[in-house]
Amino acid sequence: MTESANFQNDVPLGTSIPTGEASLESILCTEELNRRASRPPDYEKENRALVALMSALDHSPSTIFQTLAETILDIIQCDSAGLSLLTRDGKKPDVCGKRFYWPAIAGMWNPHVGGGTPRNFGPCGDVLDRNCTLLFTHFERRYPYLQPVIPAAVECLLVPFYVGGQAVGTIWAIMHSDRRKFDGEDDRVMGSLGKFASSAYQALASIDDLRFQVAERQKAEAAVRELANGLQARVQRLVDANIIGIFIWNLDGKILEANDAFLHIVEYSREDLVSGDVRWTELTPPEWRDRDEHTLAHLRAHGSAQPYEKEYIRKDGSRVPVLVGAALFEGGGNEGVAFVLNLTEQKRAEEVRERLRQAQAELAHMTRVMTIGQVAASIAHEVNQPLSGIVTNASTCLRMLDADLPNFEGARETARRMIRDGNRASEVITRLRALFNKRNPTFEVFDLNEAAKEVVALSVNELQRNRVIPQLNLAAGLPSVFGDRIQIQQVILNLIRNGSDAMSTVEDRPRELLIKTESDESGGVRLSVRDTGVGIDPKVEEKLFEAFYTTKSDGMGIGLSVSRSIMERHQGRLWAIRNQGLGATFILAIPCSTNT
Amino acid sequence: MKSLDGRGSIHRALVAVVDDDESVRESLPDLLGELGFDSKVFQSAEEFLVSDSFAKTRCLMLDIAMPGMTGFELQQELKARGQDIPIIFITAQKEETVRKRALERGAVGFLLKPFSDTALLGALNTALGLR
Repeated sequence: MTESANFQNDVPLGTSIPTGEASLESILCTEELNRRASRPPDYEKENRALVALMSALDHSPSTIFQTLAETILDIIQCDSAGLSLLTRDGKKPDVCGKRFYWPAIAGMWNPHVGGGTPRNFGPCGDVLDRNCTLLFTHFERRYPYLQPVIPAAVECLLVPFYVGGQAVGTIWAIMHSDRRKFDGEDDRVMGSLGKFASSAYQALASIDDLRFQVAERQKAEAAVRELANGLQARVQRLVDANIIGIFIWNLDGKILEANDAFLHIVEYSREDLVSGDVRWTELTPPEWRDRDEHTLAHLRAHGSAQPYEKEYIRKDGSRVPVLVGAALFEGGGNEGVAFVLNLTEQKRAEEVRERLRQAQAELAHMTRVMTIGQVAASIAHEVNQPLSGIVTNASTCLRMLDADLPNFEGARETARRMIRDGNRASEVITRLRALFNKRNPTFEVFDLNEAAKEVVALSVNELQRNRVIPQLNLAAGLPSVFGDRIQIQQVILNLIRNGSDAMSTVEDRPRELLIKTESDESGGVRLSVRDTGVGIDPKVEEKLFEAFYTTKSDGMGIGLSVSRSIMERHQGRLWAIRNQGLGATFILAIPCSTNT
Repeated sequence: MKSLDGRGSIHRALVAVVDDDESVRESLPDLLGELGFDSKVFQSAEEFLVSDSFAKTRCLMLDIAMPGMTGFELQQELKARGQDIPIIFITAQKEETVRKRALERGAVGFLLKPFSDTALLGALNTALGLR
């Protein structure tokens, strides 16, 4: 290839022609074309060739330039033929280029394909400068870089061709010997082939452009497909994960497809689904049908419906609470997708919360009773006062009346006092009755661990305030116990509070409260509350459970004595021991439900 | 038992009553009067301690559960002061342990409110009989 040789010889603009080179005029002989006798035209051959060229442009546009070169060779009957195109990089056409390249050559110069000439100093450049056909003879005399391009061109006929009014290159025919000289007919034929070259050039440009657009479009399509696949894969994962029930429905009430999660919620089998037994219109209980109608209307109007709570009827007739959302498929069809969430767990959690709330209210009430118990003790004390006053006054009254000299005024005074005191006692009792709504104990079978957990849950805030760390060590598999759940919880609460109070002055160690349950040797259940507090003073050990015994300045000493009597009423026990280490442990024992 | 009701002697024995209970302070003096005793009432143990009735008091009727100094504490205090006044505890606390405790501490009597006049007289006779 002579490509590199030629391009190394690029002559920059403005450089003067090296001396010794022939002038342009000396290598031109264009006027000879018309002076010479023209050979007869072969229109048939020409037309055939043009048809072949058009066909080639249609079928294999990528090789059209080569086909054109070969056609020129054939029709003109020359030794070499080819094209020169303006280029920038030497590989593809570019009208802004500063040189020409030969994309296709037929004949003897075929090995020189890819070579070219500079725009500003070369035969093609001359043709574009003069804007007309030129006939060169031995142009290597002027353009030394063409000397290596052999065989030498005795004559070279160059014809420009245009696209959009702008010259983009030339086609050329070369004779390497005197055998033939180009004439007017060759000029004419090259002219018409030049027009074809224009079309081919434009076609290729369009094809290139088209190819680019197609590639871009394909890229875009691939991206969308990727996205869709990704999305589809994600949706499929959602459906298959079986976390949410999903089904495809139509407006006629049919369920067309469903995932396992949905079937699980409504407890129908896949066979039921396939056989068409499962219709979403019948899954809904009658009282929910109105809401469904409303939803359908919204679906038809807006394409989707906000999720709402309702119930489905399972295969076995039972109800299941669900959250349902639905959407119609786009495209105006009558099918859509629905999402179903099983709310059973949520409802259960709500129930538990409600029970806890109720238990809290009851316990608060009972704790009030406990505190009222303390108040009741002082009120009982208060009732006793007017009563003993009455007895004393009555004794006085009798003595005064029995005296040798009866003291009627004295007696009257005692009577007045008695009436007053009687009324006072009555008031106190009324007050007491209002505050202390005595609850009849209800005995039932229950789980001591659950009861203990509830009490701890209710006390946790109070314990945290006192920086007490409660720890539960509840044995598994304990038998159920028999008793008044609330009263036992009262006792547990009392022990927890006492344990917490016992540690209220502890600063040098953690305030740990351990609540433990375990089996008793007698077959019952034991619950112990162990603190790391001030412990039990041995001097007062036996008085702990006595009524009115208290170490608290504001205590009435009711808690433990009431707690003990509760345990006794349960055929159980309540006692305390000093820990090996610090603090004390209070233990309650309650027989299990089979022992009563 | 009318023989030792103190009516015969020139000086009626002085019984001090210490109780935060208003109806006791109101009603007991009249009954004590009918039984032939003089009486003085005090609202609290502290009030009794600062009074000048020590010397003359032949018997002390003492409530146990009182705000401030309790009955037992007053008993302790009197012992510490070397005042050997016979004490009859009066209380509404029914527990046997309380009674036991009171008697262990050297009380001559223990009356459960409300008490009858005969019970009261019996306790007073016991108390004064020791004098």
